[in-house]
Amino acid sequence: MKRILIIDDVRDRAVWLKASLELAEFDVVGVLAWEQVDERSIQAALADVIIVDANAPGRDTLEQISLMSSTLEKPVVVLGGQKDQHSIQEAMRAGVSAYVAHTIQGEDLSGIIQVAAARFSEHKRLRDELKEAKDQLAERKLVDRAKGILMTDHGYNEADAYKRMRSMAMSKGKRMAEIAEALILAKELSA
Amino acid sequence: MENIKVEITGTEKSAAVENSAPEQTSRRDFMKLMGASLGAAGIMSMVPMGTRASAWAGGSDAPELKEVKVGFIPLTDCASVVIASVMKFDEKYGIKIIPSKEASWAAVRDKMVNGELHAAHVLYGLVYGVHLGIGGQKKDMSVLMTLNNNGQAITLSNQLRDKGVTTGAALKKLVDTEKRDYTFAQTFPTGTHAMWLYYWLASNGINPLSDVKTITVPPPQMVANMRVGNMDGFCVGEPWNNRAIYDKIGFTTATTQDIWKDHPEKVLGCTAEFAQRYPNTARALIMAVLEASKFIDEMSNRRKVAEIIADKSYVNCPVDVIDQRLEGKYEDGLGKKWNDPNYMKFCNDGAVNFPYLSDGMWFLTQHKRWGLLKTDPDYLGVAKQINRIDLYKQAASQVKVPVPKDAMRSSKLIDGKVWDGKDPKGYAASFKVRA
Repeated sequence: MKRILIIDDVRDRAVWLKASLELAEFDVVGVLAWEQVDERSIQAALADVIIVDANAPGRDTLEQISLMSSTLEKPVVVLGGQKDQHSIQEAMRAGVSAYVAHTIQGEDLSGIIQVAAARFSEHKRLRDELKEAKDQLAERKLVDRAKGILMTDHGYNEADAYKRMRSMAMSKGKRMAEIAEALILAKELSA
Repeated sequence: MENIKVEITGTEKSAAVENSAPEQTSRRDFMKLMGASLGAAGIMSMVPMGTRASAWAGGSDAPELKEVKVGFIPLTDCASVVIASVMKFDEKYGIKIIPSKEASWAAVRDKMVNGELHAAHVLYGLVYGVHLGIGGQKKDMSVLMTLNNNGQAITLSNQLRDKGVTTGAALKKLVDTEKRDYTFAQTFPTGTHAMWLYYWLASNGINPLSDVKTITVPPPQMVANMRVGNMDGFCVGEPWNNRAIYDKIGFTTATTQDIWKDHPEKVLGCTAEFAQRYPNTARALIMAVLEASKFIDEMSNRRKVAEIIADKSYVNCPVDVIDQRLEGKYEDGLGKKWNDPNYMKFCNDGAVNFPYLSDGMWFLTQHKRWGLLKTDPDYLGVAKQINRIDLYKQAASQVKVPVPKDAMRSSKLIDGKVWDGKDPKGYAASFKVRA
């Protein structure tokens, strides 16, 4: 059974990845945040594979530990064997990197990497969707407030207030939310 | 990570477009900032692309790639890559440089190796380490040119100062008499800062591998890590040593130009495959960066350069903190002020940029010294494989940058030892303090 260590500051992603790997019957021996990473914590984990976010600033810290460990005869190398080239590139696109001990079998490794890559991609997609939903909600709130201003201060009914804003947005080449923001700002300035 | 792109079209009209979006604001500020110096780039961008390409070489030499993605780490010495893009020196040679800010040297390496980056502003020793497979995947690499000399430093914490330690000799005394864990940080195990730090400690009789603990921290995180008491000292590129003084957490005990005057530092690196497949693109890239290097080396341009690279999308540090040392105005944080003649150089009439074989070989001798290489490599052979002197010479002659006659140079380092590239094996074995 390959021992896997996950280092990730994105807590929910790390927990999810751990669960997914365990479901695929891999042995996750630990989840560390980057500030916990030092020679002792890495050595103590006795991991065969370390999965990290490819874009984490802490990666250079791990490079030093890996290299120094190899002089202590605990070989840890950055993954990139010819056999796994495809799954590695896929993994890196998803933003995941792996540090792997020499001894690990190619098939096991591909499995682990594939699970990690899939989870990282999925997590990014969900996060993007959530952000989009939040942005949309925020924009709708702005438009509603601006509509309210047009109704109370200028006597428009709701449908006309909306139309007025939409035509302004189109003629100015701006988004509805930007027009709404300008209206709210103007109202605040005159208050 | 999404950078705000500063675009210049070369015409005043576009800069005057009224819009309150942030990128527009930065464009306006930028136009104001660059003022007259924009002239040349502006005129050049009005010349049709085809004419421009053939202005420097025959039609068949046109760059194979139009867009070249170049990685960089937030450091003062990323300036030539950034300036080549921002000031459109790249367009003059038929390419568009897309600077890509990276979070770690490991990411720079991996992205070059898997092709996500075409080239990068990168630590000299890192390129050699990857070529020889030190601590990871082995991949044939190339150095296209050296980006800068000098301009890194060793910072010690104010806690050490308070104990009366301001010099290497005093540090040695403390390490010998007061037993505890001393922690020093550098930026990458095979990189330049690791080698400067180790060399400096060793020249003071401290073995960096057994007398103290060395860790690796990315440059922008260095100061924050010292603030929380994680380390006694670090070696990093500017502006982060000056930043430590500005933030009142440390002081400069030695500059790297003290360790080796005009030492090689960052290079423009890429995979050997990239340089082989896209030689015209590589040449165009060298030319664009060489022009930027010349521009930056004009002292009167340096304030502007500092203002450009201080931006959030590049170094993300106050302008003055970058500008002081970029202009050679040093203070050590202990009250001493001086004008350093050996400040960070980007061109120095080509002396900086020529990829000397002896420079590359030096890093191998230190890798051997510190046990990163178990056996002596073919020092000269490896340097000849990596340093693309042929491409560099062709590019340099196009932009009228002088090329030295000899591919080796001789330097005397802080401990009095002379390195001239002649006996690398003997030199590597000659150090008393070693792994």
